[in-house]
Amino acid sequence: MTVFAHLVTPAAWLIFVGLTLPVTFTDNYLEYLTPGIMVMSVLFASLQSGSLVIFDKILGFLNKFFAMPSPRESYLFGKILFITFRGLVQATVIFGVAVLFGITVYGVKSILLTYIVLFIFGALFASIATTIALVVDDHDGYAAINAMISMPLFFTSTALMPYDKMPGWLRTVASVNPVSHAIDSARVLLSGGDIPVSEILMLAAGATIVLAICTSVFRRATL
Amino acid sequence: MIEINNLTKYFGDLCAVDHVYLHVKNEVFGLLGPNGAGKSTIVRILATLQRPTEGTARICGHDVVKDPKKVRSVISYVPQEMALDIKLTGRENVLLYAKLYGIPDRARKVDEVLDLMELSERSGDLVKTYSGGMRRRLELAQALVHEPEVLFLDEPTLGLDVAARKKIWRHISSLREDGISIFMTTHYMEEADEYCDTVAIIDHGKIVALDTPERLKSSLKQDVITINATGTFGGLDLDSVTFSRGDNGELRFLADHGESVLPEISQALLRQGMTIQSMMVRKPTLDDVFMDRVTTSEEDSAFDGYKFRTMLRRR
Repeated sequence: MTVFAHLVTPAAWLIFVGLTLPVTFTDNYLEYLTPGIMVMSVLFASLQSGSLVIFDKILGFLNKFFAMPSPRESYLFGKILFITFRGLVQATVIFGVAVLFGITVYGVKSILLTYIVLFIFGALFASIATTIALVVDDHDGYAAINAMISMPLFFTSTALMPYDKMPGWLRTVASVNPVSHAIDSARVLLSGGDIPVSEILMLAAGATIVLAICTSVFRRATL
Repeated sequence: MIEINNLTKYFGDLCAVDHVYLHVKNEVFGLLGPNGAGKSTIVRILATLQRPTEGTARICGHDVVKDPKKVRSVISYVPQEMALDIKLTGRENVLLYAKLYGIPDRARKVDEVLDLMELSERSGDLVKTYSGGMRRRLELAQALVHEPEVLFLDEPTLGLDVAARKKIWRHISSLREDGISIFMTTHYMEEADEYCDTVAIIDHGKIVALDTPERLKSSLKQDVITINATGTFGGLDLDSVTFSRGDNGELRFLADHGESVLPEISQALLRQGMTIQSMMVRKPTLDDVFMDRVTTSEEDSAFDGYKFRTMLRRR
């Protein structure tokens, strides 16, 4: 039930905006939008899941786990992996809807490569969400931060329009937004283009750095 | 099996655990004390969840600070909040722990502990449908799946009804027969009295009593007289009577032969202008030992919101 509820927003975006918004720069807005909406579902899923850590702490699971001989970081990495995976599942449903509405699929390889990008992106934002949750430590505070950053992150990216159609100020912000980079890579890959190596490496580097920060915040917040 | 030497823990300026020495063998050891006395802190340090400021603790020979991984492989910790996955079945919950502990031949071991805790018939049901007592037993099953040598239980019977509590204690006692040491905290004095081999009372981070329940009760030696009266108490000058404490209109006295001394006490109080509402004489219980040794009045002890919600909660 919760899974379905989380899918409605991205699906609604895809269908109602992709099929109806009168856009002049492309004929197939649905196809232009799809990578953006896939990334959006991973983004929102990751950001919302930060509260999972807060729940575990409040409910006492963390304490029980820490009294076990397993390495403590395994909890963190498992959590991030789960959040990322859940985001990917949601992205898959969105992709399915898009295919249903007639976007062109450029072969299995393009899809697999897109998923690699989504995975790295998901891990990046799952780590960000978890770090924030570990620091903020309560549900209200975390929900407030989540509400504050998710929409702006989405709108200041290339989800809705390409760089050359953006006003100058938006273009500057969008070019440093990791969401844009993920969407750009996904868009290239989904339409069968060459692998954007530098973009992917940048995302991977970002994910590794945030993961390291997250691990250190985790260690300090839980001993 | 548990050796605690000079264990101290400061939270900033607050001394939560004050140079505590304890030695626990293969027994059921009960740690009693008012809220905020340091019980949970000691349990958390022993379960390697927190580091002491000074002092050492060794569990089965392993130091909790230097060798936490070894310690964690021989202990199990069951905190007061019931942390179970209610959307999974009982068996799945125990199986998760079996996997986390890396136990060979998982399925058989899981069945074994479920059987031990008398949960076999319900093991396929979701934990959401379990009663409080069953959930506690399930947590015990999780704790036993890796055959620990020491079991830490923080308020194991909190919030359970009488029948459930008796059942849990039956299980705990049988575990002691199997050679497991049990270190627990509780508020239920009657239970500590009946089931614990050794009891320690802690107040303001210091151990104020440490002995078997029998010896602690006989240390009081005297009958306990409780009198509810209004007015100002001016002290008593009777030979065989000692004044223990007075809280909110309830005066406690200790006397060798309570029944015979009672009339004298009441006359003395009436002469001081007090009005007596009720009087009672009885043999000392562990409650009385507690009231005698502990100086933290109920008003001063920290309100544990967690504990309160845990007692009320049924998720």
